[in-house]
Amino acid sequence: MPIDTSPSSVAAPRSVRGPEAVSRSRHRTSRQRRRPARHLPSRLLAASVLAVFVVFFVLPVLWLVLAATKTDQQLVHDSPLSIGSWHTLEANWHALTAYQDNAIMLWLRNSALYAVISLAITLCVAVPAGYALAMTEFRGRRALLISTLVVMLMPNATLVVPLFLEINAVGLIGTMWSIILPYSFYPFGVYLTYIYFTTAVPKDLLAAARMDGCSEFGVFRLVALPLATPVIALVGFFSFVANWTNYFLPYVMLPESDQMPVQVGVGNLLSSVPSFNPTVGSLAIERPQLALATLVAITPVLVVFLFAQRFLVSGMLAGATKE
Amino acid sequence: MTLSESSAGQERVSSKRRSALLAGCAATVLMTVAACGGGTASTTEKDGFAQAPQKDGALTVWVDATRLAAAKQYQQLHPDVKLDIVSYDGNANGSNYLQTKVQLFNRTHKGWPDVVFSSQNNEVTWAVDAGFAAPLNKGLIPEGTLGNFAKGANDVCTVNGTLYCLRNDLSQAVLWYNAPLMKKFGYTVPTTWEDYQKLGEKVAEEHPGYLVGDAGDSFTPEIYLWASKCGANHITGPKAVSVNTTSEACTKMAKLMDALIKNKSMSISGVFSTDFTKNEADKILLMPGPAWFGGAVFKDGLKTPAKQIGVAPIPQWKGDTSTSTGNVGGGTWLLSQHSTHLKAATDFLKWVTTDNAYQGEKAPGFPAYAPAAENWLKAQDASGYFSGGLGALKDASGQVWPGWGSGQFSQEAIWAATVKPGLTQGKSIVSMLPAWQDSIVKYAKSDGYKVSQ
Amino acid sequence: MTLTLSSTGSARRRRRGPARQSRAGAAFVAAYVILLIAFGILPTGYAVYFAFTDAGGTFTGFANFITTAQDFRFVDAVSHVAVYLVLWLFSLVVFVVGLALLLHRLASGKAGQALRFLYYIPGALAGAASVLVWLFMLDPTVSPVSSLLGTLGFHTFGEVIAPGNLALLFTIIAFWTGAGGWIVVMYGALNNIPKDVMEAAHIDGANAWQTAWRVQIPMLRKWIVYMVILGFAGGAQLFVEPQLLSLASVGVAGRDYSVNQLTYDFAFQMNNINGAAAVSVELLVVGVSAAALFVARSGFFDAD
Repeated sequence: MPIDTSPSSVAAPRSVRGPEAVSRSRHRTSRQRRRPARHLPSRLLAASVLAVFVVFFVLPVLWLVLAATKTDQQLVHDSPLSIGSWHTLEANWHALTAYQDNAIMLWLRNSALYAVISLAITLCVAVPAGYALAMTEFRGRRALLISTLVVMLMPNATLVVPLFLEINAVGLIGTMWSIILPYSFYPFGVYLTYIYFTTAVPKDLLAAARMDGCSEFGVFRLVALPLATPVIALVGFFSFVANWTNYFLPYVMLPESDQMPVQVGVGNLLSSVPSFNPTVGSLAIERPQLALATLVAITPVLVVFLFAQRFLVSGMLAGATKE
Repeated sequence: MTLSESSAGQERVSSKRRSALLAGCAATVLMTVAACGGGTASTTEKDGFAQAPQKDGALTVWVDATRLAAAKQYQQLHPDVKLDIVSYDGNANGSNYLQTKVQLFNRTHKGWPDVVFSSQNNEVTWAVDAGFAAPLNKGLIPEGTLGNFAKGANDVCTVNGTLYCLRNDLSQAVLWYNAPLMKKFGYTVPTTWEDYQKLGEKVAEEHPGYLVGDAGDSFTPEIYLWASKCGANHITGPKAVSVNTTSEACTKMAKLMDALIKNKSMSISGVFSTDFTKNEADKILLMPGPAWFGGAVFKDGLKTPAKQIGVAPIPQWKGDTSTSTGNVGGGTWLLSQHSTHLKAATDFLKWVTTDNAYQGEKAPGFPAYAPAAENWLKAQDASGYFSGGLGALKDASGQVWPGWGSGQFSQEAIWAATVKPGLTQGKSIVSMLPAWQDSIVKYAKSDGYKVSQ
Repeated sequence: MTLTLSSTGSARRRRRGPARQSRAGAAFVAAYVILLIAFGILPTGYAVYFAFTDAGGTFTGFANFITTAQDFRFVDAVSHVAVYLVLWLFSLVVFVVGLALLLHRLASGKAGQALRFLYYIPGALAGAASVLVWLFMLDPTVSPVSSLLGTLGFHTFGEVIAPGNLALLFTIIAFWTGAGGWIVVMYGALNNIPKDVMEAAHIDGANAWQTAWRVQIPMLRKWIVYMVILGFAGGAQLFVEPQLLSLASVGVAGRDYSVNQLTYDFAFQMNNINGAAAVSVELLVVGVSAAALFVARSGFFDAD
């Protein structure tokens, strides 16, 4: 599977938000007061559109959650949205953890290790780079912007072979760095930071700091970084998701099964389910256990989303940008 | 300000990291260029191939989740052997994992596993050209051992008379039936396809809803058309195939299936579909299918109670003197030419394919090695799940029609993509035979096969 | 591409020490440049080299491009992807922007946060993880929406995944996983529209629809362009969704559907990395051309 150009792993920064939130709600109340009659039907319509999409996005996930509480028989014979039992959920959990001596925990540990270390490197590399591309002038700036975009648009199937050869050349095959280093290169994060700084941070602010005698590094550290919390959260979040959900690179790169991250592990579980691979025999994994494994695999991403969301909405620029 | 300070801390870490990265990456750039040379150490010509210098060290074995048990058992019985067991997806669903990795290892000249299990039986179609699979009948495995494999079992491993893999299990097609139900309805198990069709028509009339077979799986052609000696997939050489899907052998079976699909005594759901599990699981009267249906479909999948499912020989066409059946899959074991532990690798390979401790007692599939199969059948009989003896399985193991081979292109995938959608739309199989042939020819050609029609 | 990059704001404001800034800028990007070369430019360059050579490394001109284009699946795959792209970009632009506008208008505070989270959840379900979900969603026998499927005339899984429905199905699957992230992005961009602009629209008597159409959407232009560039490249490189359905349907639907699937086939099944590289380069050229077009038309790189 492609390394990261799929639209799901791609998104852009939410820019700063702060005073607007307040003014927005004020707007609405005043508008409502003025024209309640005209707005009620259209608001109802709009609310129902939002509700329909909630069903669209959530129903399959709800099904998946319920599936983990059922037996394979119930999954097929019972009503799709019926609830199984706690007991069955426990049994599924035991069956899942029994698979190759609790391999799922090992996979999660590996995923966390790869995702977090690469995330740290990505932040340290991408944020200064995006900042410099946006706020300073240096030779090769345009070339860098263009090559970053081009590299981002390259399909990944053929990149795996060169990557493998490179990693082999520096003798890192079989180490976790064979995954972490390619993950750390996150051009998308550079673009996020670049766009964030060009659109949301006024250059006057930096100029003022320079006037005050700050070094370039000081400007970055003391002025830019504190303003960059939302974009750091954003880059961090998307980088984490991209690393966590990457399938193909570790699938090809890692030689040992005890190095597998959870995505590859779930792929292997899938090929142990009889409906996808009829010849697995008696050691088969049943579909509810696969559903449970899937839920376990996505939980960290959702937790990180909730955590990141707190920073995404914090309006760091609230005072600084206005006027 | 706390925030900015922690960021600054991060920055300090990063500058350290940066220099490390800088060094690492600069080295990368330089060494990628240097890597292109890459020579190999001197080799010795022995057992029919150039062998790498032998060393001590762990034997690397790649197995799928099911065969993991075999590798672990070997380790337990041979504690002195150093084993590095890697579990992978076994190339299931055409994942091409093994092929992908071997291509990469061939470029970096290291990393190959010593012994590999694959759930596919067409690996030699690329593994020989890739210089990966070692010849096994030129000294590594004694003739006596090879002679004990079921007749034709290792055909899929043979290229130009040289054996490049060992078959793990057989998947010969037989006729499964529900003994108490047959008795209740007063039917006898048909021995000819003509009787089979008649029975299907009778079932449709007398007990509508009950099934005499299923034609909805991707391996449907391997059960019915292969058994009928349809020449859709005759591999005539390492890169040559002859395809003819409109011969009488094909059309008469297609017509039979069309008739039974039409009167609904043959399902088109596929035995692993939820539709089948939900609505048709208890309607099975007869079911032509491979050896592994006994465990995977009836026992584990549909949870059919014990003492119901029996096994009979697959029907034959009336007047046909040579019995024939089809085959659905069956895994293979390969040994690497690059192995530096050939002795240990060969010992493992011999044990895992022939020893009763695994193949005879524990293996989920019908062992390809005949003496182990004898033992396996006894164990199955003793388990008491099946109704009656399993002798038909043993007979069928030597009756797989050799005119259907195992090419690089996947016959199952072609059938699934070409014929299955038409079946769903209500088209007859007979009418789709030319399109099926066309599709096989195209896929074969694009894999570099010379095709005769 | 050069013409699309107009000089950005940073050039304008150098109060003092342009040389100092230049040195600092170079220092800030140094680590990234190394990663870019090692894991971006070098592999891409290598792939381009593959595209114009044969397995032995001899230069072959466009031979790889011609042989791969002559593969019997190629033309079908291109037309599949073309249809998919239309559906995908349409749904991406219309629904993502529409939902972001609605969310922005209706759901405030906690409700908005909760809705954005709910819309995002499927984004965490990547690749193999969602095979099971779609197998059951699309199979009328066991689907929670079987009555809806029944109303549409589908009674078996086979009918649902008939060849004519595939482009739409892949759009639905891709939208399900991908839209949440973009909605979050667009919502954030909407928040960034200065309040005086909204106020002015309001005073002019613009209703919700007019405000959205005349004020908000034009001000989202950059974000929409950005989404379309990446959405276009991602759509042209369609891979995960057909692969997923192919797994779920055991090969009945979705195998060899898209151009990018063919590159994987060439590279890893047919051992023709050079052919795969040629197709990848074609996809890259398509993606970059589209990007250049959108960037030039929208002033995407302009700082203001």
